[in-house]
Amino acid sequence: MTKPAILLLFITTMFACKSASELKSEQYFVEGYQLYTTYCANCHQADGKGMSNLYPPLVNSSILKDKSAVACIIRNGMKGTILVNGKEFNRPMPANPKLTEIEIAELVSFVSMKWGKDSLYTPIEAVQTALKNCKAY
Amino acid sequence: MRQVKKAVHIYTFVLTALISSLIGCKDERKLPILGERDVVKKTVDGKEVVDTVYNAIPDFTFVNQQGDTVSEKIVEGKIYVADFFFTTCPTICPIMKRQMVKVYNQYKGNPDVMILSHSIDPDHDTPQVLKKFATDLGVEGNQWQFLTGEKEKIYEIGQQHYMTTVKEDKTADGGYLHSGAFVLIDKEKHVRGMYDGTTEEGTQKLIADIKILLDEYKQ
Repeated sequence: MTKPAILLLFITTMFACKSASELKSEQYFVEGYQLYTTYCANCHQADGKGMSNLYPPLVNSSILKDKSAVACIIRNGMKGTILVNGKEFNRPMPANPKLTEIEIAELVSFVSMKWGKDSLYTPIEAVQTALKNCKAY
Repeated sequence: MRQVKKAVHIYTFVLTALISSLIGCKDERKLPILGERDVVKKTVDGKEVVDTVYNAIPDFTFVNQQGDTVSEKIVEGKIYVADFFFTTCPTICPIMKRQMVKVYNQYKGNPDVMILSHSIDPDHDTPQVLKKFATDLGVEGNQWQFLTGEKEKIYEIGQQHYMTTVKEDKTADGGYLHSGAFVLIDKEKHVRGMYDGTTEEGTQKLIADIKILLDEYKQ
């Protein structure tokens, strides 16, 4: 009798643990996915692989290691020539001034969890700090 | 026994009728001619007859990605797909181009099929810009031409003859308002189909319809 009770308690705690940050991560992931589909997938494609030599991939891109840069580029766009996975790209990316801080946090969370090494969401505070200190990309 | 035989006969008859009507339908799969039509009266052999004049793509002069001045002569004796876009477009154009690449790959090397993509931002999209865009998209050669030219002429042919929406609109993302349509034109310059180039469904329909249209000329 006690064994199942302990097991049940164990399982409940596991889910309780999950509810804190893992649940929020899932929520950010889903919201971020929707936003990605609306604002990014036209060029970067639904699979994140970009489009021929026109638009760079996000998959395996080193920019994903710098989440502050990702947040700034989403907000302000970028121009000039960049090198992604050994290929040159030089079409400007438009700014997205309409996106809110929470939306950018969800987007950064989505791309970092989907194609970067993150397993947890990027909190809005991190994005707010990043956006205050943006340089030109 | 006789009754059974009769039943079998009727069954065979119905089946044959059904199959032949099915095949009959398939043979008649023809694409419509789209657009406004005018009725003109003219006199043939002393008799007055009524003739229908269909919307047709008029002659044009644009400049392609190679910097060559081209006219309607490049599509003479060919069927082609036309669309409108601009290279800096952040919204539907990348999707349209991704989908058009599928059409291109399907009919690559077919001398009877061409693609004409018109820029609606000719001030920015010079032949050099279009050439770079085509190359980056993976398009070589002249089967798929990227056209630029006088803005008024591009808008006029787009709105009035290809029946698509092409407008400058400062409030739209990227500054232009345009439809995501792919327009299929036959050898007589008639519009034979309009497809939503932003969807997979529309693109597949176009790929299938190009085949139907090509078959029309095979007889």
